[in-house]
Order: sequence, then structure tokens, then C-alpha cells
Amino acid sequence: MAAPARPGAFARAWAKAVSGTSFLPMTQAQLEALLQRLTDQLADALLAEPFDLRPGHRVGTELVANHIASAEGLGRTVEVLQLRLIRDLGLVGDDVEDRMARLLAAIATGYARALRDRTLDEQESIRRAVMTARAQAERALRDSEARFRHQATHDPLTDLPNRALFTERLTAALNEPGRGAERIGLCFLDLDRFKVVNDTLGHQAGDRLLITVANRLRRALDGHLVARLGGDEFVVLVERTGGTDDVVAVADTALAAVREPAIVDGTELTVTASLGIVERQIAGTTPGHLMRAADSTMHWAKAAGGARWEVFDAERNRRELARHALSAAIPAALERGEFYLDYQPLTSLRDGSLLGVEALVRWRHPELGVLHPGSFIGLAEETGLIVPLGGWVLAEACREAERWSARGGRAPFVSVNLAVRQVHRPGLVQEVRGLLQRTGLPPERLQLEITESTMMSTTEEPVRALRVLADLGVRIAIDDFGTGYSNLAYLRDLPVTELKVAGEFVAGLRAPAAEPASRTDERILASLVSLAHALDLTVTAEGVETAGQADRLRAIGCDAGQGWHFGRPAPADRILERVG
Amino acid sequence: MQRPDWAPETIDIERPSVARMYDYYLGGSHNFAADRAAAQAMVAAVPDAPLMAQANRAFLRRAVQFLTDAGVRQFLDIGSGIPTVGNVHEIAQRGAPESRVVYVDVDPVAVAHSREILAGNDRAAVVQEDLRHPERILAHPDVRRLLDFDQPVAVMIVAVLHFISDDDRPGRILRTLREALAPGSYLVLSQASDDGRTEEERAEAERVYRRTDNPLWVRNRAELTAFFDGFALVEPGVVWVPEWRPDSPESAEDAERAVFMGGVGRLGG
Repeated sequence: MAAPARPGAFARAWAKAVSGTSFLPMTQAQLEALLQRLTDQLADALLAEPFDLRPGHRVGTELVANHIASAEGLGRTVEVLQLRLIRDLGLVGDDVEDRMARLLAAIATGYARALRDRTLDEQESIRRAVMTARAQAERALRDSEARFRHQATHDPLTDLPNRALFTERLTAALNEPGRGAERIGLCFLDLDRFKVVNDTLGHQAGDRLLITVANRLRRALDGHLVARLGGDEFVVLVERTGGTDDVVAVADTALAAVREPAIVDGTELTVTASLGIVERQIAGTTPGHLMRAADSTMHWAKAAGGARWEVFDAERNRRELARHALSAAIPAALERGEFYLDYQPLTSLRDGSLLGVEALVRWRHPELGVLHPGSFIGLAEETGLIVPLGGWVLAEACREAERWSARGGRAPFVSVNLAVRQVHRPGLVQEVRGLLQRTGLPPERLQLEITESTMMSTTEEPVRALRVLADLGVRIAIDDFGTGYSNLAYLRDLPVTELKVAGEFVAGLRAPAAEPASRTDERILASLVSLAHALDLTVTAEGVETAGQADRLRAIGCDAGQGWHFGRPAPADRILERVG
Repeated sequence: MQRPDWAPETIDIERPSVARMYDYYLGGSHNFAADRAAAQAMVAAVPDAPLMAQANRAFLRRAVQFLTDAGVRQFLDIGSGIPTVGNVHEIAQRGAPESRVVYVDVDPVAVAHSREILAGNDRAAVVQEDLRHPERILAHPDVRRLLDFDQPVAVMIVAVLHFISDDDRPGRILRTLREALAPGSYLVLSQASDDGRTEEERAEAERVYRRTDNPLWVRNRAELTAFFDGFALVEPGVVWVPEWRPDSPESAEDAERAVFMGGVGRLGG
């Protein structure tokens, strides 16, 4: 850039004057060379004919262009030029002082103009940079917000909408003004036996299967909102339905899409799904109601064997909810003492004496009144609550029965039903032994009734427990004998004392003895009795309602009877008074 | 998912930016009122501040010239700031047009401005990233596109390390960068040093910079020398920046007034 001319003393002095006034991106030698070139131009201008100010403007401009661009830079330049230029270069002329003044003015003018332009340019460019940066930051923010929103509302595995987004859309659909008269439907879908896939092929394979299913549902149900709720649960929103059929059509499509074989890790998998359908008018429903209804309905489909859909049934749902509420209330009812026992006599057919009583649990429900076991024992067995409930029954029966001996005479034994779960619990022997000790009830006055199905289990433990109890002297009865699997093998191993023959055989005895069906029942009963006696067991017939039945049972040789003929279940005091 | 940590909520020109303050010290007009107010406060506390910036910028120029003469054709300038006069690519590409330069800065305005300056220069690029994340810088596609790390690269960390606190582990940052470099690569480093300063001056300077997003961390010669771990310092070692290979002996006079110390190291092999 610099002219090759060797810098003279003046150019060196000028360079020294402006160094440090602003940052100069060049070496001192480069600066001196530059200023030598400008010095030459100024010298020429001072002597030129005619005198021309334009070189002065150009020098001012060039100084700024070379970054000698500060107020101090100009001040020192004017100073050094004024003091030394004419003298150092030995310039001679009539009006050279005059020209110098005017040239300096031109330099300052050119310099100030250039500096002003440069300042404005720089201000513009930095403001432009701010605007660009702002636009970029805002775009980045929008992108990250959009990404954030997507991630917050979508399932990372399948990229389907998640529960949050589904609930949001469903709520919006239900709350949209003026749509109350319209109908809406949900399909709640859950893969059948998905856990098996995870357990046998691994979670990664399970995940790939979920992705496949999600993609198929998305494709097959285009136009409907498909979401993954978590695990292997999916849900489809069907808007503006004309009736259940519209949702059934969607359900069929969904099940067909799932059913197509999928290749996962080179294994061809065929999965099915259970699907619950709910479809109703928008007015009066809520997202929560719809979701719960569809979820329960899906479980009906699952309980029916899967690979199917079921349509929500309000009546069935109401029953199930009531059952659920009832079972949920059992623990609190136990605490509040809402359960009590009635007893039904077990009467000797030989002499009519009271041999024992069967304890039957009652629930004095604060709203529903007195409930019989049929309405809650099944539930308690399903939920496992039978263990605390059965435990309470056993304890209460022992406690009450012990007091009966105080009346004098031979006190009846008390017979208590044991559920399968109770028999299979490890602590049964200890529990019974503890109760007998605490209450003082003699073991032979306690009879435990178990069903044939209790013995279906292959484990040895229950058999051993019952044998220990029998050795203590506790009586063991088989309840509902003859209705189970009729595998008599357990009679070999079990220390059974008594068979209770199911009421349905006894019912046959109500008909005239000449009827063939009645005769058959009588023969079966006779064989059971002779089998029992051959094994040294006593036989009690259940469901004895008439004197005629009692007579025929006595004739067969049956030992005892239970049923309305001998007395309905009642509080212990009443039973004992009657025989008392 | 969080907002990327480099994307501030807003670009706030009411808040002083160290890049634009530096531009002001150098005599530029790429700055706003808040930057000038902060820079003027700094000058009031430390009257030599503009001189410091100029001396540091001159050090950068001489270092790039030295590297160009040594045959280096790739430059990674981290903390490049506002591209005022005398940028690395201007110096390097004037001597060797095939030189490739990547600028890195954390300030989005500085980056946007650099991008405008560099438009049309296919051997130079700018990347918005933080020196605190050297692995991200090294992995950035523009860095990978322009620079071949199998060949020598000059890493410039000039007048920026005093914004990196000890908690950010500057030693680790430099090691990460060093491990990515081929033999024959260089490290150019300078930062504010408290050698020879009064406690009062240092406190005042730190107070001014607390108003920016980048508080000041001054370090002494021994600490700076330690940053060259793994590199062989070229003559004259870590010195006040005017003393580093001056154009003329007189330009190195009163060198400690420049406050900045710097040096150049070469990776052996």
C-alpha cells in the first residue's frame, strides 16, 4: 500500500505525533510510509498552479480511511503540519503561508466529513447487527418453545400426543360452546399380554413393538386424535359421532391395525388388543368421566379374553362401581365394628340335639342395611380383604363360643368357614392356636370348613397346616362336598372329620320319592353317606327345609342336618335359648 | 428441554457489552451509550484503558504476522469480539490469501456483526459459542468445515481469559483445546494482569466490569505461564504485550502500562 519512498524526517515526526491516538493496524514503518506519501501530495498541492484544495480533502479522507481516525489524530496532524511542513520541506512561495492555512482547512474538512461518515456507518452497522441478533434470538426462542411445547405434549417413544395433550383436546372438544347437543366417542385400547413380549424378548423389542403399533394406529385412524397414555395404553378421540356405530367402526379399524403381524427383531409377532368404547352426548359429561368409562370398558374386554371391543354399559358400570365401593369400605367397617355373626344350628338327625352351629358373618352397613355374605364375601376374596375379615370372623366365633359352655350341659361346637387365601397363609396354625389359647375354647369345639377347591393347590403347606390343627383336636369339615372337582384323593391325606353335603342334592329330596330325579339324588346321598361312614367321617346335609327331607336323610343314615327346618341363622343367644 | 444457554431472552443494548467497550477503547463507533458510559467509567478508574486495548490489539497483529511468517494458515480466534480494524483474517489473508480463519464469540451482536463483515469471504466464518465449552467449539460444523485439525492451527485467546473465572477451570479449557491440535500448532494468549497494579486500581476495574455480563479475573505472570502447559513458549515468553516482538524498541517503552501480558506457545512434535 505504501509508496516505496523512504520516509523523511517530517513524515517520521507526523507518524510519531499520531501514534497512540487510536488503534492503527499497521507497523510504525508502514505508518511512516503512508504519511510520507501524504506528505508528498501536500507538498505538491502547496506549490501547484492553479492552487487546488481538493488534495487537502483527499488527505483528510485518507487519514480516516487508514484508521488515523480520532479527534486527537486530527489535532496532532494540524499541529505538526502547521509547525513543520513548510520548514522541514523547505517550501518557498509568495503565498505559501496563505495556501498552508487554506490547505489545513481543507484537510480538517475532509477529515471531519470522513470521520462523520465512518461514525454513522459504524453506528448503522452495529444497529443492524443488533437487529439481526435480536431476530435470531427470537427465532431461537420460538423454535425452542415450539420444541419444548412438542416435547411436553408428545410421547418421546412414539411421538404420539401424550396424555396431557389428549386431555387438553378432549376438554376443549367438550367445552366448545354450542356443541352440547353433539356426540363424542373414545376408544381406550390396551395391548393383550404385552408384558409377555417385554419379559421374553426384552424391553427394547417391546418398545419397537409399541412404535410399530403407534405408527399403524396413526396411519389407520388418520383424522382422529390418537394418543399414547403410557405403557401399552392408547386412546382415540372420535369427534362428531352420530352414534355408537361410528365409534365401533373406528374400534374395528384399530383392532385390525394392531392384529397385523409385526416383525420385531426378526421375530414375527401377532398381538391383539382389548378396546373399550364409550360414546355419548357432549352435554353433561366430563373428560374424567369419559376416560374412566372407556378405561373400565377396556377392562371388560380384557376380562372377556381380549382381542375384542366392548361398549360401555352404564348399568354394568354402576354395579361394578357399587361392588368396588363396598369392597373398599370393608377395612373401615371392620374398624368401626359393623360386622357381626349369626349362627345356624347343625342338628343331630338321630336325637334332634344341637351338635354345633355355623358362624355366618353379617355386615350392618350404615346406608345399605344388613348385608349377607353373598354380597361381599366374593369381593373380599377378590381383593384379599378376606384375610382380615375371615380372621375377625374366626376370632369372634371363638370368643362367643367359649362363653356357651357356661350355660352347662354339652356346648355346641362352632363351625367357621375358611377361605382359600386363609388356608394358604403361612401363619394359619399359629393364628388358630393363639385364638384357642386366648379365648380358652377347647379345640374340639372349633370346626373349620374348607371347600374342595382349597385342596386343588399342589402345595403341601396347607395340608400340613390342617394336619397340625387336626392333631390339636380341631374338627375339619369339607364344605359343599360333591360340587367340586370330585377328586377324592385328598380324603386320603387330609385329617377330615366331616363332610357337608351340598344343598342341591338335598333339594331333590323335596320332590315325591317316586320321581326319577329325586330317586337319583337320594341314591347319590346314600352313596356319599356310606362312603363317609366307611372313612369314619360324619355327614351333615345342608339346605334341609322340610320335615320330609329330614326324614329321608335320617333314613339314609345321614348324621346331621342344617337348614331352615332346623332353624334359620340368628344371634347365638336365641339359638342357645331354643335348645336350652 | 431448555432454551439454548447461548440464546439470551432479549438483546439488551442498555447493558454494556465487553466487546463493544473494547471497540470504544480502540476508537471505533460500533458501540452504544451504555457501552460508552461503562468504558468512560473504566477510563476514569484506569486512565490507560484505551492504551491497554490498543497495545493488546497490536500484540494480536504482531502475533498473527509472526504466525503467518511461520507458515501457519489456519486460525481459531476465540473471543474475537466486534470485528473492528485489524482482524485476524485481514492480517493473515493479506500475507497468505489461502489462510482460513474461524472467529468465535459468545456475544450475539458481535457475531451478527462479524457475519456481515465476513459475507462473501469463504475462507472465514464466525461461530456463536462460549470459550467455556471448548468441546462444542471444536465440534461445531463451521469449525470442522474450515479448519483441518490434522494440520497446524493457531488458537488465539486474546484479551478474553480474564473473563473466565477459576471456577470455569481455564486450565481444563486450554487442555481440551490443546488435545485437539496437531503438532506445530500454536497458542496465542493474553489477558489482564495485576502485576504491578495497586489494589485500588484492580478493585475499581473489577467494579466497572461487574456491571457487564463479564466480571474481570486478573492473573499474574506465573498463572499465565501455567496456561501454556504442553506448549513451548516462543521468545520472549510471557511478557507485557508491548514487549512481545515489538516493531521498534521504543514501542516497548513503559510496557507494564499496557496491563496485558501475553505470549505465544508452539505445540512440539
